[in-house]
Amino acid sequence: MFAIHVENLVKTYDRRRVLNGVNLDVPEGEFYALMGPNGSGKTTLASIIAAVKMQDSGIVEVCGNKPAQAKESIGYVPQENFSSPKLSGKENLIYFAGLLGYSRSQANQLTAGMLNKLGLSEQADKRVDKYSGGMRKRLEVATAIFPGIKVLILDEPTTGLDPAARRAFFNMVQEIMDKKTSIILITHIGSDAELASRVGLIDNGKMIAEGTPDELKRKHAIEDVITVETAMKSDSVTSVLKDYSINGKVTESEAGYKIYSRNGDRVLADVVRNLDQAGHKVMRIEMARPTLEDVFFRLTERYLQEAIE
Amino acid sequence: MRQISAAYAKAVKELLREKAALFWTIAWPIIWVIIGSFSFTGSAPQGVIPYIKGSIAISMMVFALMIAGMSNLPASIAGDRANGLLAKLKSMPIKPYRDFIGRISAVITLSLLAAALVIVVGTAVGARFTGTETEIVQAIGFVFLVICASAGVGLMAGTLIKNLQGAIMTGVGIAVITSAISGLFAPYELLPVPLQVFSRVYPISSAQASIVHLLAGPEMVAYNPLTSSQVTLTIALSFALLFIGTILYSRLGWRLD
Repeated sequence: MFAIHVENLVKTYDRRRVLNGVNLDVPEGEFYALMGPNGSGKTTLASIIAAVKMQDSGIVEVCGNKPAQAKESIGYVPQENFSSPKLSGKENLIYFAGLLGYSRSQANQLTAGMLNKLGLSEQADKRVDKYSGGMRKRLEVATAIFPGIKVLILDEPTTGLDPAARRAFFNMVQEIMDKKTSIILITHIGSDAELASRVGLIDNGKMIAEGTPDELKRKHAIEDVITVETAMKSDSVTSVLKDYSINGKVTESEAGYKIYSRNGDRVLADVVRNLDQAGHKVMRIEMARPTLEDVFFRLTERYLQEAIE
Repeated sequence: MRQISAAYAKAVKELLREKAALFWTIAWPIIWVIIGSFSFTGSAPQGVIPYIKGSIAISMMVFALMIAGMSNLPASIAGDRANGLLAKLKSMPIKPYRDFIGRISAVITLSLLAAALVIVVGTAVGARFTGTETEIVQAIGFVFLVICASAGVGLMAGTLIKNLQGAIMTGVGIAVITSAISGLFAPYELLPVPLQVFSRVYPISSAQASIVHLLAGPEMVAYNPLTSSQVTLTIALSFALLFIGTILYSRLGWRLD
């Protein structure tokens, strides 16, 4: 039995199909990342699995039951900060423990242990409006990991956190989770999705690819990614770079120009020399293995960041 | 029961830690009790002044109850919706009515606290009240009707107005406008006839007139609000407002689509 089973899921808002026949199976204990731009349908999918919204058609099962009948097993952390800023961290957790039916003394005992695990013991009595973004997110994750939770759904939990805080956040999540708990991470950040054991890419309400991060990169983005930053941007730079990129594709971003090559190592020196001959000073050039964001680009011809905007 | 008490404890703490809610629900009516008690007693005979002050204190107490129900309650609902808490609650095994009972109990607590403080301050500045034990119990009954009607309006505002500021301002607007046109801030006999009719039909002003009649004396009210038909109307409309608000909140308040 899968922890999550989704079959041919359809959801429409204002005549727009937000989810268009989505299929998804997440086994017990798997860390699954659902990656896509804003408006791709990933948050809608998460909220249907979390029993917050209803689908128009299709099957959704959590631990073998409809989501509404499996709420005891679901730990959902929505994108917005939902903890009360006027209550302390401890008071927030006691509130959620009470909603789950724990007595005051059980809640006290349970929340003390959870705050300790999350490294929030010292801030337990501090009001949440005094917490940093990362601390508040950790607290909110705690509301979703009470005993009995089998599926943890995290919707864009690291938005607004710096890379170090993001890494610390996921280390914390993996440390505190039971091995049998399945985690679904909703994200548009490739480096976050890389931490998952399996990744699903979603765009325009459809799953466009699925696999382990390595499988996806091998299958869809076999090229090396070369980023070139020149002193000035111009059409002439693009025209030089075209000759070195597969299909002549050159994309421009804040970080500079990006080209894709199967022989990155050999091409680097030629790129610098030819740009120099054309009168363009290269400020920075670097080669990287493809990321999940590059995979998304290969599949959709759009950068995740552009798609978000 | 644990779910209700968890929702109650959270809502009470939030209300008591919200400075704006405390100001408008408690401090503002108290300020007007003090100003009214020294400014609006006019050239009334000395023996009547304490009861005029009593009447002012009762009106401000009713206004405090209105603000608590019509503004603080929708603020609590719309605020939780805006910050994603309702989405979180929908994913949890909790029924909306339990959350509703917890929230409304918290508003009743704040309302009673505000009412008690307004009456204490009113008494301190010279307000006096009459009334037998039975009349006091009846007056408390009318206080609960005011709370019911205000909470009903608050539930409607919090459910139908999705935006936080919109929900608060709608509640405050309804409280202020209906207070002004129903004679809560002005003598009933000075209102134009259509507004006198509104004052008798609007359950909050009718309940306020009943409390003043019972605790400050019948001469403080220009009509008899305690006839059986008038009391029946007040009770029926108060419960109707609460009922409609509850149904709307239970059916639509948690709808996020």
